[in-house]
This record gives sequence, C-alpha cells and structure tokens, in this order.
Amino acid sequence: MPTLTDVAKATKKKRKITLVGIDMYIITEKGIPAFDDIGPFKCEFISNRGTKVWPGFVSPDLLQVNWYRCRFMATTDVQDADVNAFLDALTKKGWWWSAAQKLWNYDGEAGFSKAY
Amino acid sequence: MGTQHVVTMLPGEGTGPEICEAVRMVIDASGVDIKWEYEDIGLDCLDKYGTLLPDKTIQNIAKNKVALKGPTTTPIGTGHKSANVTLRKVFDLYANVRPAKLIPVLKRPWDKIDILNFRENTEDCYAAIEHMVSDEVAQCLKVITWPGSYRIAEFAFKWAKANGRKKIYCVHKANIMKMTDGLFLDAFREVAKKYPEIESGDIIVDNCCMQLVRNPAQFDCLVLPNLYGDILTDLCAGLVGGLGFAPGANVGDGCAIFEAVHGSAPKYAGMKKVNPSAVLVSGVMMLRWLHETAAADRIEKAMFAVLEERKHVTYDVGGTATTDEYAQAIVEKMHAKA
Repeated sequence: MPTLTDVAKATKKKRKITLVGIDMYIITEKGIPAFDDIGPFKCEFISNRGTKVWPGFVSPDLLQVNWYRCRFMATTDVQDADVNAFLDALTKKGWWWSAAQKLWNYDGEAGFSKAY
Repeated sequence: MGTQHVVTMLPGEGTGPEICEAVRMVIDASGVDIKWEYEDIGLDCLDKYGTLLPDKTIQNIAKNKVALKGPTTTPIGTGHKSANVTLRKVFDLYANVRPAKLIPVLKRPWDKIDILNFRENTEDCYAAIEHMVSDEVAQCLKVITWPGSYRIAEFAFKWAKANGRKKIYCVHKANIMKMTDGLFLDAFREVAKKYPEIESGDIIVDNCCMQLVRNPAQFDCLVLPNLYGDILTDLCAGLVGGLGFAPGANVGDGCAIFEAVHGSAPKYAGMKKVNPSAVLVSGVMMLRWLHETAAADRIEKAMFAVLEERKHVTYDVGGTATTDEYAQAIVEKMHAKA
C-alpha cells in the first residue's frame, strides 16, 4: 500500500528545462547599478524591494535599500558554463553580489516572476 | 467655509462611479470645501489607454497628494498589472491604515471594538520575487528591510500619538522566522523607545488571531508586516460587520489615497442598490487627514443615525433604499442636526 507521500511523488511530471537568464542580487551603496552586456547576458531590468527601478520612471519617494535584483537575460542559447563565466566577469568588474538565481523556462513557460 | 482642498476622485469601475457620486454628495453637504478632479482608473481604462492606471491619473494624484478611490477589479490572467499595486509602488504608499471600529447599530457579539491596524504595504512576500527553483519546487522571497520596518513603526506611533491612542502591539512570527520577522520586531522596538507614553508590546500572529476572535476589545493599535496585515485586517473587518463598512487608506511620505477595500461588484453596476458606506467612511478618514474633523464627525454621526433608524438603508443591511436614497438620508440627517 503506497503512502500518501509515495502517491504525491508519483504525480511528478517531467518538463523540459531551458536556461534563459540569471537574477543577480547585487549589494551597492552607489545607487542603481548600470551594466554593459556581459558575454551573452544583457541586463533586462533592475528592481529594489520588488519595484522596478530601471529602466523607466522611478518615483523620488521610493525607498531603495542597498540590495538590487538585476535580471540578466541570455541573448543566445546558453549553458551552465556561460553562467560561471558571467559570475567570474561580474566579480572581476568589482560588483559585490549576495546570490545568483538561474532563470529557467519549463516547457517554454517562464519559471520566474516579473517586477512591478 | 475654510480652506479649499483639491482632491483627486477615482471612481473606478463597476459600482464605483455610482458609489463615488453618492459619497461626493454627502461630503459636499458636510460643509467642507473640496474641489474634485476626476481621473480614470481600472478596467474601463484598458480600451482608452491600454493600461489600468493611465499616466494622466498618476500625474494628477502626484499634484494633489490626496485621492479618494472607488473600487477596481484586477483582471485575472491577462498580464495587466493591478492598478492598486501599481499605485502603491509608484507613490511608495508604505502604510496601509485599516481601522476596525464597531458600528453601534450592526449587531455583533461584542460591546466594543476599536482597532487601528497599520499594515506595511510594500515588502514581505509581496515583493514579487518568485522562482521555480527546480521543476518541483517554487520559492518566494520574503523581503523585510530595516528602513521599511522602521518607517511603518514610526508612522504607527506618530498616528497613534496624534489620535490619542494608548497601546501598540507588533504582530509577528519571529519565533520561527527569526531573521525576517525578527528584523521587523527589532525595528518596532527601536521606535517604541522614542514613545514611552504609548504602551508597546508584541504578539505572535497565530495567538493574535485567536485573541482577536475571543476578546477583540483588548487591542488598540497593531503594526503588521504585509502578509499578516493582509489577513488580519480582513479578519478585523469581519469582526465589525464585513468589508461593506471597512475604510482604508494607503499612505506614503508624498501622498495618501483613501479607499474601500471591497470589490467593484460589477453585477450590480448601474442598479444603484449597493451600500456606499465603505467608501463614505474612507472619505471620513480622508477628511480627518485633511484636518476637517468637524465635517468628518458630522457625516459619521448622521450615517450612524440613518443606520439606527433603518428606514433608508440598503439591501445588505435589511433595507430597500437605493444608494442615492441612503446618501440623501445621511445628508438630511446632517442638516437636521445642524
């Protein structure tokens, strides 16, 4: 007799996973970061506390902390090795980061939220 | 007549326009001098502007710094950003103020409830940072910051002091979420030191829920992170009679938007049968924000009297009056008392 845990695990569906970008969590006291393209990765937006602060309008009232989520999307097909090279290049440019989160599509559907 | 105030009116959609007209009639009859500037928001904007919140509306609110908003609905699954969330983000409306006060004529099991909730409105799990970190694991980042926590606590203590409130409790789950809720609680305690005249303390969120339904009269002011605030403010609204009488305000350093928290009830649109009380009491809150206390008191007393008489009340409270008839009865009651 399978347990409910076994039953739940058996429902898992296989989905095709495609690497499409990286969310970088950058710590800086110098305000909204600016990036050139790094290898095949292009910065798409930057958010602070979940609110988009680049590109576009930023309210002067908006509270910003020293921790920015910077979304880099791949402009070509990429592999994990490209992420490693990206992180190395970003660090060499002097950016201090707390975490990196790979962005994957699952069966072509984004597995990550957008920013307001 | 005293100072003229310029206020942005956002009627919204569904029953919003008819509610806002009724509310405007009552506020205008209260003796306060308000110049209303109407702007579009919500579903009806989509065809005209391609967005739920046009730039023109944003610019008008930025100019006037105070707005009264009717209900709006966010379409599910269309990719359009919620107008409410966008307003909060654009103007950094970090304080969601939700009073829960017992309306005497609405029969409830309690003698007294007068709770002032201060919900942090911009952080927590609402930062919209979510990832599928594997094909079977989803993750949402709970973002709590020191300045975000400090300013909502400071806002709450300032408001409480200005309005003669005696006690503020911080609601949290810092026994489990030691970093995030711990930071929120630390900031609250830091601010509390500056207000020794106000009693302060903290309570774990699950215990707070139980205490609220057992003995709500024990609470005065609550300061809450976003998610607990979302849930407990509706719980408090339920204690005093539901969302139909629940006012709300979203306030930032630059502006304040007053609004009911209920939906736009599109199936009743144009029928003029819905109860405008939640927007009206939000308007009363707005008048107090504008230091028009006498007008606010007049409206509140007249509204309670009309509800007490039950002659001209809407269907949801057992009457047959239309939205306009209820509003007109409040106006007549104000004039009768004058």
